[in-house]
Amino acid sequence: MGRYLAHRIGQALLVVWLAYTLIFLAVQLLPSDPVTIFLTSDSAVDQAAIDTMKSQYGYDQPLLVQYLQQLAALLRGDAGFSLTSGEPVTERIGGALGSTLALAGSALGTAVVIALAVVAAATLAPSPVLRRALANLPPLFSAVPVFWLGLVLLELLSIRLGVLSLFPDGSFLSLAVPVVVLALHVSAPMAQVLLKGVEQVYRQPFINVLRAKGASPAWIFYRHALKNAAGPALSILGITVGTLFAGSVITETVFARAGLGSVVLQAVTTQDVPLVQGLVLLTATVFVAVNLLVDLLHPLLDPRILNARQGSAPALAS
Amino acid sequence: MVSPAPTGRINGRISGHPNGPRTPLRIAALFAAAALTLTGCGSGAQGGSAGANAANAQASPAGEPVDGGTLVYAEVTPINNWQTQAARFYEKSNVLNSVLDRLTYFDPEKGEPVPWIASAFSANADSTEFTFTIRPGVTFSDGTALDAAAIKANLDSFGHGIPAAQIQPNVDFAGYQTSEVIGTNQVKVTLDAPNSNFLRATSSVTAGLVSPATLQQDAAGQSAISSISGSGPFVYESEKPDEEVVLAKRDGYAWAPEGADNPGEAHLDKVVIKYLPEVAHRAGAVQSGQVDLVRGLQPVDEAALAASGNQVVAADGVDLTVNMAAVRIGSGKLADPAVRQALQAGIDRQSIKDTVLSESYTLAGSVLNHQAPGFVDLSADLAYDPEKAKKLLDDAGWQPGSDGIREKDGEKLEVTVTSSNNSVVIKPAFELIEQQWRQIGVKLNNRAGDNTFLTTAMPDPNVEFYGTRQFIYGGLGPIFEPANNTMTHTSDPELNALFAAERAAAPGPERDEVLAAEQRALVVDKAFSLVLWDEVQVYGAHRSTHIEFTSGTAPIFQSAWKVDG
Repeated sequence: MGRYLAHRIGQALLVVWLAYTLIFLAVQLLPSDPVTIFLTSDSAVDQAAIDTMKSQYGYDQPLLVQYLQQLAALLRGDAGFSLTSGEPVTERIGGALGSTLALAGSALGTAVVIALAVVAAATLAPSPVLRRALANLPPLFSAVPVFWLGLVLLELLSIRLGVLSLFPDGSFLSLAVPVVVLALHVSAPMAQVLLKGVEQVYRQPFINVLRAKGASPAWIFYRHALKNAAGPALSILGITVGTLFAGSVITETVFARAGLGSVVLQAVTTQDVPLVQGLVLLTATVFVAVNLLVDLLHPLLDPRILNARQGSAPALAS
Repeated sequence: MVSPAPTGRINGRISGHPNGPRTPLRIAALFAAAALTLTGCGSGAQGGSAGANAANAQASPAGEPVDGGTLVYAEVTPINNWQTQAARFYEKSNVLNSVLDRLTYFDPEKGEPVPWIASAFSANADSTEFTFTIRPGVTFSDGTALDAAAIKANLDSFGHGIPAAQIQPNVDFAGYQTSEVIGTNQVKVTLDAPNSNFLRATSSVTAGLVSPATLQQDAAGQSAISSISGSGPFVYESEKPDEEVVLAKRDGYAWAPEGADNPGEAHLDKVVIKYLPEVAHRAGAVQSGQVDLVRGLQPVDEAALAASGNQVVAADGVDLTVNMAAVRIGSGKLADPAVRQALQAGIDRQSIKDTVLSESYTLAGSVLNHQAPGFVDLSADLAYDPEKAKKLLDDAGWQPGSDGIREKDGEKLEVTVTSSNNSVVIKPAFELIEQQWRQIGVKLNNRAGDNTFLTTAMPDPNVEFYGTRQFIYGGLGPIFEPANNTMTHTSDPELNALFAAERAAAPGPERDEVLAAEQRALVVDKAFSLVLWDEVQVYGAHRSTHIEFTSGTAPIFQSAWKVDG
């Protein structure tokens, strides 16, 4: 277990470092430096002013020096300063993180519940027609765009019926509606993979043995099918974090919520490169961290993973 | 028309506004609006919109102002940098307008600056020295006095920037050298070159006055609205970052611009600024009463909002250029003025108005707004004439290729436009221009509204068109003149001479003559600006909201009120 742990954590750190390096190089590939881009976003600027600001932000240094300085600063927890507001990037992102975590976390939890409920219902429903209908729900959820559903619900609930505020007002509905909108979308791939897994498990001989022993359908589903099918769904859950983040950005815009979504939008529209860099790095880190967590959970579901040399959990699980 | 005679502080067109027409210009505008209503009614879709404008005549509240209440205003995107000189975007200037006072106020009806914090001002003959007399008794909201020393500190920060806080000089303060305090209440500004636009520049929100303590802060401090202390009719109360800013009325405010409707404290107790990035909800937000005022209404929503008994208000951008496709010649394809003139003649502006705009929009007659001082009407030169366009292109050596797109020396006449997504109408407008130019053999790659592309396109002179409009507080010079200007990326010696002459000319007939020559050069002879429509910001206002606007399209919350308080 210890070796597996060290291996996975080492891998995760490597991925974050590579992501950081790629972001740095991508910024260098822009036709001009972040300061020039930022300052020319509205009107002509004096070259002297550009030069001054460049040297203040260290963009006049040789590439390697910039890279090492930024990396060293980052290790100290300093991600530089936002060009627009002058605030440290960590503060700007930190201020918005809570709201997004609340939205994304609730949505992820809700998505898991929705996925489980749909799969359970689609497996256990008494009528075959109903089972088929329920099994078609996940493709429907993933086909409905997040922004569209959000717009329709706001038009209906807020503008026509007047039961929901267009702006977040701290009420239950003003969090619940965006959470459900996001959760439906996020639940779709999980439910689909879980459903496929459950169907596969049902084709295995041991299910017949259980049936012959007189186990109830619910017992078979909850105690045996679900546990055996959970591995791939867990891997999907890890990958879903990317969808969740993109979905949060859209949901926050539609529901006028503060959070990373509006920071991303502003950072991109105002060409605030240090802030964009910080956001991309954060996204990469969160993605890697969640997938690391998923990998570490896998052995608990299936101890065989620990015995597989070089074994990547998702590869074995799928 | 029960209101007392109002003064020159109002801007914003609603036909049958409770304050009514007061000047020949306004009466003319009303007739024009009536005429548009008549013609509009006969033309299908546009009839709805024009009729709607008439409908909101009844909706707009009349009577005496009501004191008290909270006005909820929805802006387009959140802002987290409130530093004065950075207020070149509506999201910022619309809020800072009520927090920061300025030395002067630009009166669009007089067409000149009038006294505000400067109770008197004068310039020397060659516009290199300006003297401001500071109104006594004005204080910043942090309690310090807005005196001559504070003015000097502010002017220095505009003229030179604040290097320690990474704050750049104000682009409209060209030639600023020094300020000195004279006597007890006067400040003399010296420029190193004539600039007759200087007074106008002091009326801009980007020249808003802040307390000396605010100027001492670092970049983050000066960018945070919580730490900005101004002398305006509203003061910061609270903020939820990226969600809302709450402003409260400043008790004891008594220094509104000369001739203001309301010389003293604001009628409203509070203004809450919220953000509504989603364009589809803006009309609904007003209709359902969740906001009292919203900016950035789509033309398609105007009719429905007015039909619901609420108001569609067009705030004219007198302080701005018109919306245009500014031409860059870096790619070489548009280096020949004849090609640019052909594209100018190949735009059917009326059809843009009929298809993607509304009656709230006025087609451009020049690079300046119709009400701007010195405007000359060049609409005769802007007539849609595809045959003339084709002939110009033929003569310039661009011959139609097999696919109908013109070619010269193996290169296709394929051009690209960039713009931000801030304007709700610019992308559809360029979609229509794309079709119109196809008729004359020109291919337009429409990247309007793509903010990611804009990042790289803005500093790139090879991207042929930049769709935008700009503030003109410093005249047309700062926009088109410097070699690194973002509009054309072209420094034209003849134009530069005109811009220099504009700054040196005395306000009045002499400057108007230079302005006319500038407009003719930019629009007709050199065709660096393919003009489209006068800048206007279309607001939606609830039926119980009384609101007027500055000539920079900012809402004036100080004189606003709500029927139900």
